[in-house]
Amino acid sequence: MTSKRVGLESSLGIAQAVKLANVDVIAAYPITPQTHIVEGLAEMVANGELDAEYIPVESEHSAMSACLGASAVGARTFTATAGQGLILMHEVVTVASALRLPVVMAIANRALSGQLSIWGDHSDVMMARDAGWIHIFVENGQQAFDQTLCAFRIAEHKDVMLPVAVDVDGFHATHVIESFYLLDQKTVNEFLPPYVHPTPLDPDNPVTMGCFAMPNYYFETRKALDMALRNSKKVILETWEKFGALTGRHYLPVEKYKTENCDTLLVTMGSFSENAMMAVDRMQESGKKVGLVRLRLWRPFPTEELVAALSGAKNVIVLDRAISLGGPGPVCSEIKAALYPLEKKPHVVGIIGGLGGRDISPENFIALVELGLEKIKTGHTGEIIMFGVRE
Amino acid sequence: MKNDIIEIRWHGRGGQGAVTSAELTALAAIHEGKYAQAFPSFGPERRGAPVLAFNRIRTDRAVRERSGIIKPDIVVVIDPGLVSLINVTDGLKPGGTLIVNSARSVEDLQQDFSGDWKLAVVDAASIAKKLLGVNIVNTTMLGALIKATEVIDCDSLREPLEERFGARAKSNFEACKQAAENTVISEITPSGDKRPRSFAVEKLPKWNELPVGCVVTDVGNTKAFCTGNWKSQHPEWLDSKCIKCGICSIFCPEGCIKQQKDGFFRADLFYCKGCGICARECWTQAIKMVEEA
Amino acid sequence: METLSVYVPKLVTNKEYIASGHRACSGCGEVLALRYVCKALGRNTIISNATGCMEIISSPLPETAWEVSWIHTLFENAAAVASGIESGLKALKRKHGYIKDVKVVAMGGDGATADIGLQALSGALERGHDFIYVCFDNEAYMNTGIQRSSETPFGASTTTAPSGKVSMGQHTWKKNMAAIAAAHNIPYVATSCSSYPFDIMYKIEKARKVKGPSYIHILSVCPTGWRCPSSDTIKMGRLAVETGVFPLYEIENGEYKMNFDYPKLRPVEDYLTAQGRFRHLTKEQIAEIQQKVIVEYEKIKMLSSRKKGK
Ligand SMILES: Cc1ncc(C[n+]2csc(CCOP(=O)(O)OP(=O)(O)O)c2C)c(N)n1
Ligand code: SF4
Ligand code: SF4
Ligand code: SF4
Repeated sequence: MTSKRVGLESSLGIAQAVKLANVDVIAAYPITPQTHIVEGLAEMVANGELDAEYIPVESEHSAMSACLGASAVGARTFTATAGQGLILMHEVVTVASALRLPVVMAIANRALSGQLSIWGDHSDVMMARDAGWIHIFVENGQQAFDQTLCAFRIAEHKDVMLPVAVDVDGFHATHVIESFYLLDQKTVNEFLPPYVHPTPLDPDNPVTMGCFAMPNYYFETRKALDMALRNSKKVILETWEKFGALTGRHYLPVEKYKTENCDTLLVTMGSFSENAMMAVDRMQESGKKVGLVRLRLWRPFPTEELVAALSGAKNVIVLDRAISLGGPGPVCSEIKAALYPLEKKPHVVGIIGGLGGRDISPENFIALVELGLEKIKTGHTGEIIMFGVRE
Repeated sequence: MKNDIIEIRWHGRGGQGAVTSAELTALAAIHEGKYAQAFPSFGPERRGAPVLAFNRIRTDRAVRERSGIIKPDIVVVIDPGLVSLINVTDGLKPGGTLIVNSARSVEDLQQDFSGDWKLAVVDAASIAKKLLGVNIVNTTMLGALIKATEVIDCDSLREPLEERFGARAKSNFEACKQAAENTVISEITPSGDKRPRSFAVEKLPKWNELPVGCVVTDVGNTKAFCTGNWKSQHPEWLDSKCIKCGICSIFCPEGCIKQQKDGFFRADLFYCKGCGICARECWTQAIKMVEEA
Repeated sequence: METLSVYVPKLVTNKEYIASGHRACSGCGEVLALRYVCKALGRNTIISNATGCMEIISSPLPETAWEVSWIHTLFENAAAVASGIESGLKALKRKHGYIKDVKVVAMGGDGATADIGLQALSGALERGHDFIYVCFDNEAYMNTGIQRSSETPFGASTTTAPSGKVSMGQHTWKKNMAAIAAAHNIPYVATSCSSYPFDIMYKIEKARKVKGPSYIHILSVCPTGWRCPSSDTIKMGRLAVETGVFPLYEIENGEYKMNFDYPKLRPVEDYLTAQGRFRHLTKEQIAEIQQKVIVEYEKIKMLSSRKKGK
């Protein structure tokens, strides 16, 4: 069922997954570093390899709007964007979740303007954080391929019916040619049932979608959406289990790397986790008790799993590849909040790094951990600490 | 009482200026050196639909409350039709005051309510028609408020009225003074011979009772919603003049004029908003608009 | 007057797709136009509606006045949502055995169409989706309280372009959306007005048969925003047409056709003085409007006389 290993750019790996999902409608607007994904798909459609409607919309706002329309009639729908594109789309992003339309979107994580930067960080995703989508972070092309397939199954599951974003680091993941195990169509068909909307826009059974809610209704609609998002974790876990059984590639909301007997745990999200793993290898070789915790599921936030993974440590160092201007790093503040109820809390220090495409190499990660430990030792955990910025 | 907060709820219809009444009340109170708020019930209500407006007034210190008024001290009903439609005394405090614009007699109105309240009645419509030339009573009703309560003085209204109405301020002020003179004050008792009244209570679903994505499948269910009580006039047909052309039915924005078995047309008054289009467009003048009782 | 002289019941379906109990203002011409549009569209329709009066008056959760499938998402994207619906149905037909014959319709007010949603509309027209776009033009943002739009006529007073001591209110001329739509080289464009039910229904039925995009711009009388008595709604629309302020015409494959040609137009004064929003205009300003109206009217007439291939 798992085919042989092939070389492929990660963006095209995502396109392959979308093709295997036999998507019906793609509506997208180009923006670096997302372009290769949608160009790949356009080519497949043009060559008849993928039977889908490709709508070359005139903006990201219209891309997501068209996705809503397509999804609402019961068509399987995909889009991709990045950075300013995601932000232009943002108004529509909140509607997708509220109407419970299972659109799947790849986000090629990109820094925000304006000093225009086409390069990667997580600031765009963080601005879309509260919009009611499921967010899955991936580290490399294989994971991007796998999670795109999983995303359709999760999104369209009758107990979920929510949009899903697969968050892929711009350039560091999207533009790398690497090796992949693809899946054959038969396996995918078994894994991914057809999409059925329970109450689609249908002339024979008319429905009204998108009523406005007065104060006596709105709060309940929000709670319903929030609960749907929280409860989606069950289907996410079940989907990953099934996918693991099928492919041998296993995914969890929070993934640990060599954390046994470690005093210090580093927390990362996205493609830099791979460098962090190499740093952990080296640090452990030299006898340091430093392990790595990778956050894969960003929404719904896996509080339980995170607490379980981190509560035994003395020190926790969180890398944020986003800046919440004027406030603490977004991932770090959520981790602090998750750990706060513990009686015996680890020291937590947040470090902001890798903005606008700046590298954090394995060597850098060793230095970053040392910086974190130094701050903890000297009692400066409350500071806003940036790594790799010229000061 | 003097230093306590006084809360007022205004009942009107979209387009009748209940919000203006509340605003003028607040401005007059502030003019007197008091502290006051005026605010509308924020919503998408259109012309004709029942709306609310509110005031809070305090003498000695700032008003900081920023929530809806649930237990008012004073209720002012600008539109006479609302009395039978809405529970206007909902939450009205014992000892509170109910002020109604109505041509009905005090004795008759007393039978509609039971509670320990003061009742003030004025036929504001005829005053407004006489002095302002229109049936818009939002400023006229301020006179009844002044007579029935002590929240504001008549003179403090002068400036706010001028600001708002310019040249028309004088006639509005006169209407207000006239209303104060004509207002009849009486009492309502909690018991006695009362007309039974009941109001539908909306059953609201819990969060987990909402359908996925809040999709509504019971389409066209606004048909259960009565817009007929928005109207202040209704059409009446003179069949002898009617040629059964159906023009009236095509031009009704409510789609509520239907042909009957005998071929003549009638409006479903459950929906008719009293716009008057049908009467205006009937070329044989078979329809005339009649004021609501 | 339109030739609707006789016996409506024989000519028009009784079926309503926008139910009574909706919350439009008493005498609303926009919901009246919507009634006709829906009657002409019939049941095999999916509507994408922009935020605005027609959306708000029809869909307070858990209620809906709609009896055809209908979706509202945002203010500026009705055309883009319609693109998605149309493409989705196409894919379902090709791939999943879907067989229904559905017309996709996007609709919005003049703000949703000519201002904030112009880009999405242009995109959808240019891409050639098979859909109808209906603009209900009540000449301001009515839903939010009569603010000016680019469709507000010269001289009208609105809440964001009010007449005042040093301003006459709107000082720009109405944007020509029909020409903008036609510039996309789409097969069918038409203007209509809420006082002309048969004209609206005729044009919608025609648009329904067109393969590809069509655009219908309907002047929709709003007694609340125009400040006229609710009983005058029909009269006001007729005056707009009979004075030449809002001519009714079609543009079929680029060819103009004036539908109601008046050898002698009524003076615009009749129209302007009947509405509160124009009450402040001076004689000179009315004369200026009169002149412009004649020029624009003649332009459409001239275009209508120019036939292709001749
Ligand atoms: C992005 C955005 N900006 C502003 C609004 C507020 N808004 C809602 S409806 C509306 C005006 C609608 O005007 P129009 O399209 O002319 O339709 P009408 O209500 O007049 O029928 C505005 C400004 C909004 N909903 N969304
Ligand atoms: S418009 Fe007048 S004549 Fe025609 S059907 Fe109606 S009432 Fe009769
Ligand atoms: S007055 Fe006539 S046109 Fe207006 S809502 Fe009533 S029946 Fe319809
Ligand atoms: S404001 Fe105008 S368009 Fe909107 S519902 Fe009222 S009359 Fe109709």
